[in-house]
Amino acid sequence: MTQPRYFRAARMTAASLAVGAMLLTGCTANVNKTSTSDAGANASAFLTIPREDMGTFVQNFNPFAPTVNPMVQQSIYESLLIFNPAKGDTVPWLATEWKAAEDGKSVTFTLRDGVKWSDGQPLVADDVAYTFELQKKIKGGFEYLDTVTAEGNKVTFNFNKPWSPALYDVGQLIILPKHIWAALPDPEKDANAKPVGTGPYTEVDTFQAQSFVLKKNPNYWQPEKQKIAGIKMLAFAGNDGANLAAANGDVDWAPQYIPNIEKTFVSKDKEHRQYWFPATGAMINWQLNTTKAPFNDVDVRKALSMAVDRDQVTKIGMSGYAKPADCTGLSGNYETWKNAAVKDNCTWTNHDVQKANELLDKAGYPKGADGKRTLKDGKPFEFKISVGATSSDWLSVANVIAQNLAEVGVTAKVESPDWAAVVAGYETGDFDSGIVWSANDPSPYKYFNTSMGTSTVKPVGTKTFDNYHRFGDTKADALLADFVGAADESKQKDIANKLQEEYNDVAPLVPLFSGPEWGAFNDTRFTGWPTEDNPYATLSVRSPTTVLILSTLEPRK
Amino acid sequence: MRFILRRLGFYLIAFWASITLNFLLPRFMPGDPVSRMFARSQDRMQPEQIEALRKLLGVDDRPIWEQYINYMQNIFTGQMGVSISRFPTPVTEVISSQIGWTLLLGGTALVIAAVVGNLLGILAAWRRGGAIDSALPPVLVFIGSFPYFWLAMGALYLFGVVLGWFPIRHAFTDGLEPAYTWEFIGDVGAHLVLPALTIVLVSIGGWMLGMRNTMIATNSEDYITMAEAKGLRPGRIMLRYAARNAMLPSVTSFGMGLGFVVGGALLTEVVFAYPGVGYQLLNAVQGLDYPLMQGLFLTITAAVLLANFLVDILYVRLDPRVRSN
Repeated sequence: MTQPRYFRAARMTAASLAVGAMLLTGCTANVNKTSTSDAGANASAFLTIPREDMGTFVQNFNPFAPTVNPMVQQSIYESLLIFNPAKGDTVPWLATEWKAAEDGKSVTFTLRDGVKWSDGQPLVADDVAYTFELQKKIKGGFEYLDTVTAEGNKVTFNFNKPWSPALYDVGQLIILPKHIWAALPDPEKDANAKPVGTGPYTEVDTFQAQSFVLKKNPNYWQPEKQKIAGIKMLAFAGNDGANLAAANGDVDWAPQYIPNIEKTFVSKDKEHRQYWFPATGAMINWQLNTTKAPFNDVDVRKALSMAVDRDQVTKIGMSGYAKPADCTGLSGNYETWKNAAVKDNCTWTNHDVQKANELLDKAGYPKGADGKRTLKDGKPFEFKISVGATSSDWLSVANVIAQNLAEVGVTAKVESPDWAAVVAGYETGDFDSGIVWSANDPSPYKYFNTSMGTSTVKPVGTKTFDNYHRFGDTKADALLADFVGAADESKQKDIANKLQEEYNDVAPLVPLFSGPEWGAFNDTRFTGWPTEDNPYATLSVRSPTTVLILSTLEPRK
Repeated sequence: MRFILRRLGFYLIAFWASITLNFLLPRFMPGDPVSRMFARSQDRMQPEQIEALRKLLGVDDRPIWEQYINYMQNIFTGQMGVSISRFPTPVTEVISSQIGWTLLLGGTALVIAAVVGNLLGILAAWRRGGAIDSALPPVLVFIGSFPYFWLAMGALYLFGVVLGWFPIRHAFTDGLEPAYTWEFIGDVGAHLVLPALTIVLVSIGGWMLGMRNTMIATNSEDYITMAEAKGLRPGRIMLRYAARNAMLPSVTSFGMGLGFVVGGALLTEVVFAYPGVGYQLLNAVQGLDYPLMQGLFLTITAAVLLANFLVDILYVRLDPRVRSN
């Protein structure tokens, strides 16, 4: 009968991916349903985008909501600048230029002239100052930020200490109109049903539980770039529905994960459909709880890392779409920051079973007659790898690692309860090891700070929300302090090089692969998509670069 | 009347027990809503924001008994608070905006499955060894034992994508204004066919088998032989004598099913992107959205108990033996 059905939810994802792939494979019956549409229809058509993790929408366009409606931060509100990880460059947006002070304690942005809110009011420096005041009041954060002063068309952010990573931090926060928000009694509880923003598509139209349309902002500051009539969002309670819509040609953009994408999506219309998965996602790490023996031993961390076959991990766990990590620890997002000398001489991130065995022997973890190693206290070398049950991809990653480790005589058990239980263990330090994402800012500061800065280390039992592996290194601390004080980017690069050397020495965690940024499109109706040859943005619909795509696409002629 | 009052007392205790469980269970789960949100954001949130968010969402740090008293008060005054995952939308609004679709889908599927399943069961048992009896049960059990997900995807692919007979997503065509017009109702109906059909397909076997088995037992009762001996029409014997007596377990199942309809059909909602509370409940559980979870559980509990109560009353009508007890 009907009742036990939703208890199977946990297994749903895994099953659905497999089944979805199977069913969609080889269905060529419906090729090109929409590709013959005429140009006149395209000009008035909406850019249709699925949202795969919201079964229904609520008319709530408040950017402070914990679950923000799609496109609020992408097409309704805009930020001062946009960092594009695919190319590693920064695009001036609401600000035309910016300058950091010599002492690193402030940064000044110059606002673009002629920017208007969608209600016709001009964007002023005071709007920016007010946004940060409101942000700090409602959501906290920005603790380094002392005051924000507005003067003419310039906004100056003053810090209470030298803080160079601030540029992207403040630069990428979306700006709100003071004249609207200051009038609200409870800004954080307002549904903001009719948002006023500076973005290209701000006008909410035909809002329904499972779809809504955003139409052109009548006062956009670059009207020549509003070439599409509007954006239509469709709600889906899971990837499968969204994937089916993509395969069927009903949506123009498919930012969700599509299994076996060549067959299920591209093959149906090779001329118009493409995918591009740049490795600009966060570094996915295998974190070892360094408060526990033997993970407090750097040789063990390096030996375990050498035992892992990253090619196999990415091939099996990530369908070959992820890029194996190197010993700088930096993901593809930081390509321009990488220290070539470190990267070219990696040892402990290369798969080498023999060296891993030698290192473990040398470090004092002998192999017994049964081929299994023991710890220094004589107990078997055994531990758990915890991953949430719904992440089928990372579960395969953990399983590959466990198999790899068996080759060096180490027993790892993959444990997969609900994500919440796994994360609760990470937070309090009650875990052996786990597969964990990491910070992914434009600047590598946060990645290094949360992987080896002592300031982020909390004692076991105290909750922490980063540095789950609880590793701190005083040498890295000194470098990190220098980094935040360096206003000049070339100086930052020098320090980042040294941080990578230190990372290479102490191996705070085991980097596995750069997470791919999923994205696929169908250019039957709209052209101008970013591709590997023209990486002006990634194909994400939830990142700051999304607005670059929205202001580039045009109807097919 | 005394019977009904006694049942009512029982239901009140059951209701209290279940709302207490509704209160306790989510709180036994590890973590709290904010740290879950943080974990799910995969580093798009700053750790410093956690405290502020906790305050904003009103995550409780009060002693559990105080929360419990407060929770009971809220239930009886009908305040279910504000959803955390859908903040700042009130729980009642989240539920009421979707429960209609859930009831439409689940109710339609349940009624069709129960009516058709029972009729088939009656016929199968009446003509034991006949075509319906030998062919249908294995086929339906076979279909029913398919993983629902697989079946739904298959139906969606075949009838939605390849043949294009039915729409492949949502409860109505996007852009259409909801109104009581034939166009809109027809559209909703077309969108309802596949989701409801798949639920009917997997559940109908259970109804049919259940009915068939009790009916077979009833058919060998003396009063059936008696009725036949009296020369009553076979149709009358089948429906009024055998089926009416064999129907009691089915009525119970129907009541239970009616209650559970309110919980939503999660997988159906996922495959067909149909709106409803099932996916909302999954989200609430995953995000530890206590207020929404409590609201949904409360609705489900109330619906199950109410449905059972109605069945109890109906029983009195159907089965005189209950009355004399």
